Amino acid sequence: MTLRTVEFHVLLALAAEERHGYAILQEIAALTDGELQLEPGTLYRALHRMLKDGWVVESARRPAVDADDERRRYYRLTPLGRRIAAAEAERLSRLVSIARAHRLLSRA
Amino acid sequence: MPDFSRVDRRFAWWLVWLYPPRFRRDVGLGLADAIEDRMRVSRASGSGTLGAAMPLMFDTLRNAPAEWIRSVGDRPPRDPHAAAGGRTMFDTVMQDVRYAVRLWRRRPGFALVAILTLALGIGANTAMFTIVNAVLLRPLPYAHAERIVSVWGRASTFPRGLISYREYQEIRKQTDMFESAGLWLPQSVNLTGVDEPQRLTGTFVTGSFFEVLGLRAGRGRLFGDEDSAPGTVKPVAVITEGLWKRRFSGADSAVGSTMILNGVPLTIIGVLAPPTDAGATAGDGYFLNTDVLIPAAQFPVPHGLEAAGPVMLGVARLKAGVGIARANADLDVIEKRLIASGETANATSNSSFTATAGRSLYAEPAQESVVGTSRAALMLLFAAVGVVLLIACVNVSQLLLARAVDRDREIALRAALGASRATVARQLVVEAALLAMVASAAGLALGRLAIAGLTWLRPPSSVPIPTTLPLDGTVLLFTSGVAILVATLCGLAPAVRAARPDLARVLQAGFRRGSGTGRRTRDALMVVEMAMSVTLVALSALLIQTLLAVQNAPLGFDSSNVFTLQFRLPQNKYPKPDDIARFFKTAIDRVRAVPGVESAALVRAVPFSGNGGTVGYTVEGRPVADPASMPQATFHLVTPDYFKTMRIPVLKGRDFSDRDDLQSTLVAVINETFAKRAFPNEDAIGKRFTTPQTQGPITIVGVVGDAKHYTATEPPRPQLYAAHYQVPLIFSSLVARTKGPAMSVANDVRKAIWSVDKDQPMWSVISLEDTVARTQGEPRFLALLLGIFASVALLLAGVGIYGVTSYGVAQRTREIGIRLALGASAERVLREVVGRGIRLTLVGAAVGLIAALAMARLATTLLFGVTPTDPVSLAGAVTVLCVVSVVACYVPARRAGRFDPVIALAEE
Repeated sequence: MTLRTVEFHVLLALAAEERHGYAILQEIAALTDGELQLEPGTLYRALHRMLKDGWVVESARRPAVDADDERRRYYRLTPLGRRIAAAEAERLSRLVSIARAHRLLSRA
Repeated sequence: MPDFSRVDRRFAWWLVWLYPPRFRRDVGLGLADAIEDRMRVSRASGSGTLGAAMPLMFDTLRNAPAEWIRSVGDRPPRDPHAAAGGRTMFDTVMQDVRYAVRLWRRRPGFALVAILTLALGIGANTAMFTIVNAVLLRPLPYAHAERIVSVWGRASTFPRGLISYREYQEIRKQTDMFESAGLWLPQSVNLTGVDEPQRLTGTFVTGSFFEVLGLRAGRGRLFGDEDSAPGTVKPVAVITEGLWKRRFSGADSAVGSTMILNGVPLTIIGVLAPPTDAGATAGDGYFLNTDVLIPAAQFPVPHGLEAAGPVMLGVARLKAGVGIARANADLDVIEKRLIASGETANATSNSSFTATAGRSLYAEPAQESVVGTSRAALMLLFAAVGVVLLIACVNVSQLLLARAVDRDREIALRAALGASRATVARQLVVEAALLAMVASAAGLALGRLAIAGLTWLRPPSSVPIPTTLPLDGTVLLFTSGVAILVATLCGLAPAVRAARPDLARVLQAGFRRGSGTGRRTRDALMVVEMAMSVTLVALSALLIQTLLAVQNAPLGFDSSNVFTLQFRLPQNKYPKPDDIARFFKTAIDRVRAVPGVESAALVRAVPFSGNGGTVGYTVEGRPVADPASMPQATFHLVTPDYFKTMRIPVLKGRDFSDRDDLQSTLVAVINETFAKRAFPNEDAIGKRFTTPQTQGPITIVGVVGDAKHYTATEPPRPQLYAAHYQVPLIFSSLVARTKGPAMSVANDVRKAIWSVDKDQPMWSVISLEDTVARTQGEPRFLALLLGIFASVALLLAGVGIYGVTSYGVAQRTREIGIRLALGASAERVLREVVGRGIRLTLVGAAVGLIAALAMARLATTLLFGVTPTDPVSLAGAVTVLCVVSVVACYVPARRAGRFDPVIALAEE
């Protein structure tokens, strides 16, 4: 199965560390050099689905006290979410190889 | 920088609140935080509040509805028998709703067909109700319109007649039932002193007319009773907003300026404010379909308004709390006193057509005067769309039923596991209700489209369609009511059935399908559907026959290639009969000289133009009858060559000639019916008679063929033609037979008349053929609309019987398979399946015929040239239905005949 773009990006944004909602938006923007600017509603619909499917969970842990905003809810990947992200990355990398093989990408 | 944090927080929650509850519970806090963060960052980067908020609002608008749809469809219904566990009624219903949406998503085709079918029915009903509401139910657009009444003078021959100024005065003096009373009469007026002389629609009114309707001036002022009383000729006028915008482009300077109307300069003293919500009701054109209001004192009658007899329309406003019956009792007494005192309605009149004895005054609600004639047609159409809706409901009911039968095992299992029958029935009802709701929303939209479509079909004036369509409370209420009805009708049969599932039988049947239950219900619904379709088809057949009969009815004249126009001479420019006659003769001569004109004549009232009058007559040497029982003839004034121009045959004697003028003895030409009734077994030529309208006896010089005057459907009446040159009146019309198309001479003919008088306006410039066609608008419109409704009904019925037959065949796959395996021929199977459909159709047709007879009797007034029991229409309807039904049955039946027994049996 293929993953929706939004969800894959969320998985990527959470791969390094747990983040709260707005931080996810910022991270996605940073990861894509600002190409993908999600709005909160779109993000949270994806998050809602991923929560239900067990790809992410609300984190009980908190980051360092000085960086914490106590209201915030932080999300982190579950092992399932991590596996899905890995599988999708694998799939994409295979596609990239194929594209290279057909000289669709310049850099070897 | 001000502190926006609270504003942002509230804004965030406001947006989050638009998402479904479960979503809010799970991630609402996080979403609110993120929205707030986004606001803060946008502000920090220099956006204003609005600039920051807009993308977030769009985001919510895109995502919240999507989330709702997902939340409704996706969640699995909890087990119904867990319902007892403290859940609210709302939860239970929501669960049913979710279940229904899930089913629809699984079978979008079913949902689409069901919703479209219902939306069609609901849309048609909404449109028709909107019209009925605007025309028949909504009050006229005046304050306390329910108290406004028309006051009529009733004569033995004509129930809705004009009243006289004297009667009006007595009404004001003698009864206190009315708050106010007024006189009014619309009449064409000539506008001169402008580039091209024009005809305006004027209305001559007493000052009290404004008071009765509760009208006020939008600019300037209105005139009062003292300005309109006979003898006090005040040169003033009030214009309507329409004319003000059209002629004065809404300029302030209009008030105070002067218009030359009927040759008299009148000062415009005010612009009438349009009544509230004008245009929303069809009735607003009744009193105020006019350009300019002129004091009644200036009404052009030879000896003044007081002497003129009944020449104006009466209108009055009842006092609050006064019933119309009490007012009528007073009116009755007033007229009786007037008759007894000898000061009768037409005592001083020489132009009155009104008989004295037997005359009475009465009031009727003004609404009734406005809509009276359209009621029958509208109610018929309303009933027809009602039937279409019922058929749509039956179809959807069939669909739901078929599906419920499919789910028999599931339902029975659930029932066996403890789900109450009510639970199962409720689910079906909820599904039907949901269908009805969605279909109503679509129906409202369709309804508005339908209204636009109706306007495009050019409805006749007797079926007035309001110009603006309020989607108001009443209409919404009606549509919701219809939706509830639809939900009940659609859900009832399946629910009743589901509520008593035959558990043992269904479970016993094991994995076999085709329990065969529900068949009887479906058959019954099928019969109902057939019956309703036959009714509609038969009715529309009757109306189509009516239309044909109207179009083919002999008119008595030849309407092709005849050009007509109307005009009115200004009384002050042509004060004497001689002046008018001279204008007539010169004008005719000039028109005859126009190239392309074969012959031309003047007639006071062009046939089918709606104008005309009647007159009582007494044949010389016979006893003078009481005026009330005097024989009547329709009265025409024509110049020589009229019969030739119209191609009305002169049967005996002669046409008028130019020598029949003011100096010679009065002559007349009568029609065949007149001759037969007044002079049976005698030669009418040379006989003489008198009328109350003319001085001295009139000699009959010719007999012509009967010609229709108002409608193609009128019975032959005695007709009396007098010589226009001997009775020159200021209103007249020109008819000209042309060599080519009638309208090709229009410009030249008008120029010819302007060469006689450059200030003479002309109107109703139209071919006679079009004039005649206009009067046939109602039968055409009715036949067209009913034809559309009947086609839809037929289509729905066809789809219905197709569905039922297909379903029946599918259910009997196994049985048919066995029979085919045992050697039954495909043909036999086919015959049986089709035969079953035909049997149902015939039962339905029989029921429908009875209904059609009943409905046609109600619609008798709309029929012409065909009886309600017309065998052709009835048999035709049954035949059409049978054909549709055979086709609809044949397709699934052929499929059954082709079953491969092996596959059919293996399928089980």
